[in-house]
Amino acid sequence: LQIGSKVKNLTVGDRMAIEPGVPCRYCEFCKTGRYHLCPDMIFCATPPADGNLVRYYKHAADFCFKLPDHVTMEEGALLEPLAVGIHACKRGGVSAGHVVLVLGAGPIGLLTMLTAKAFGAHKVLIIDILQSRLDFAKSLGADYTLLIGKDSNEAELVRKIHALLEGHPDVSFDVSGAQTTIRLALLATKSGGVAVLVGMGAPEQTVPLAGALSREVDIRGIFRYVNDYPTALAMVASGKINVKPLVTHHFSIEESLEAYEVARQGAGIKVMIHVQPRDTNNPQKF
Amino acid sequence: MTENYAAVLHGANDVRIEKIPVPEINDDEVLIKIDCVGICGSDVKLYSTGTCGADVIDKPIVIGHEGAGTVVKVGDKVSSLRAGDRVAIEPTQPCRSCELCKRGKYNLCVEPRYCSSMGAPGNLCRYYKHVADFCHKLPDNLSMEEGAAVQPLAIAIHACNRAKITLGSKIVILGAGPIGILCAMAAKAMGASKIILTDVVQSRLDAALELGADNVLLVRREYTDEEVVEKIVKLLGDHPDVSIDACGYGSAQRVALLVTKTAGLVLVVGIADKTVELPLSQALLREVDVVGSFRIMSTYQPALAAVSSGAIPLDQFITHRFPLNKTKEALDLAKSGAAMKILIHVQN
Repeated sequence: LQIGSKVKNLTVGDRMAIEPGVPCRYCEFCKTGRYHLCPDMIFCATPPADGNLVRYYKHAADFCFKLPDHVTMEEGALLEPLAVGIHACKRGGVSAGHVVLVLGAGPIGLLTMLTAKAFGAHKVLIIDILQSRLDFAKSLGADYTLLIGKDSNEAELVRKIHALLEGHPDVSFDVSGAQTTIRLALLATKSGGVAVLVGMGAPEQTVPLAGALSREVDIRGIFRYVNDYPTALAMVASGKINVKPLVTHHFSIEESLEAYEVARQGAGIKVMIHVQPRDTNNPQKF
Repeated sequence: MTENYAAVLHGANDVRIEKIPVPEINDDEVLIKIDCVGICGSDVKLYSTGTCGADVIDKPIVIGHEGAGTVVKVGDKVSSLRAGDRVAIEPTQPCRSCELCKRGKYNLCVEPRYCSSMGAPGNLCRYYKHVADFCHKLPDNLSMEEGAAVQPLAIAIHACNRAKITLGSKIVILGAGPIGILCAMAAKAMGASKIILTDVVQSRLDAALELGADNVLLVRREYTDEEVVEKIVKLLGDHPDVSIDACGYGSAQRVALLVTKTAGLVLVVGIADKTVELPLSQALLREVDVVGSFRIMSTYQPALAAVSSGAIPLDQFITHRFPLNKTKEALDLAKSGAAMKILIHVQN
């Protein structure tokens, strides 16, 4: 709507996706390409900073990314969770021909899977405790799915994973934060591979660490994303990643409470809240 | 050819000096007249329990994996070595054909034939054979004892490589045993600007200060994790970029995860228990990477070069010597933790 006098990358009328965290730019983390770890990060809806579920919002211009006309606003909003999946795949070093394990088929697990495939992964096995989520994952391109239950035997699961993949995963992603799946990531990953622990779990975890470390399986956590919005946008704009199927619900801003209730119940995958009526700003309808 | 005597482990606490055949070499192997062999914590574990890590011994094996000696015979296809060459023996003979070998990670080979594990005899004996390309010529200014002692140094250098130690790194090493001390020496040679060692035994810390630690911390049983963290930060002047667990204790791993700087790295080289309870989440959310280091991956050459140039002096590191027939006494001393590095001289 309005641009500051020093803004060069945007003009009035541009449609944009907003990367929600603006760092300080002066600290060691900011200056070494790890601004996402800035201790003075100002992040949407992390107190004291306000979020952007609002009609008018201002933001640092360089953290706003112009959307091409064919990319809808919904996809622009989805760049945020997609950026998490991209950061995870970059941290894991996913590359052409890789065999990948994703533990958790919620939105982040699905986006991680889509990113892994886009990065060239040859086979992706996705795991969950809900069959419906696995069915949906399959429709999005998962090569294999595996349902696990409360009573599943850990060693047996590891065997099943290796059997389904006909090998050991180069990179595993735990996207649930549960101790069970964190343990599976450490046990199943190939020697010399990487286990990326994305899910945010309990503060204390009891894990079979020694075995993984003596096989030089690297264990890397992630925090949000860094320099991943441009990648996310490029993947969506080029069609290499299709995020549209993840949007399962639409609500208007007046219906926000209902929207949160739906999300809280885990009923859908991604819930959109429309601050302007749907498709007002989509040259190509969603 | 004279007789071959070896230190053979028959079971827990049962090591015997026995006569064994002098081995016949293949085309790509060399026969070595062993001079001396170091012993370490993993030998002690093997000796005390009949197991070490995942290995269980079910028939008698020759122990020892830190050997140096003189080549006495070379296989027909060997051109890198000649009889008379003094060598340090890298204690592995990997398969060369698995994916890991081909990617340069031969330390993770599926069939590494690592000295003194099942199917792979050790070199605490008088005559031993090994593939020639894993026998490294000693620089002229290295003694045989240094040649034996480079094995644990090569382990420490691999660990420091895995930890990505670089100029300016600030490091805490938890555990001031031989590996912790060698990691400190390697880290210093690799440019670390400040190195703190911690341990529960004061005498180890005294040795650490002699051998290059900038400062040390005695960890008392009653300290909480948070207290240890606070003390480390105070001594180091900052949170460490890299924390090295060189003891394998869960308590050390906990501290490492809590004290390491955001975006830093925790390196585990110590041999630990199978399962451990850890404050993982806070480390993961700060993108503190957790990596392990296993054995040796192409670090014999750097180790030999570093000792030869004086960048990493090993003379003070070697503290005790025994003849072959006193192997049991040597192992008992090693078990007590009172020695830094024990060498067994086999030819007397």
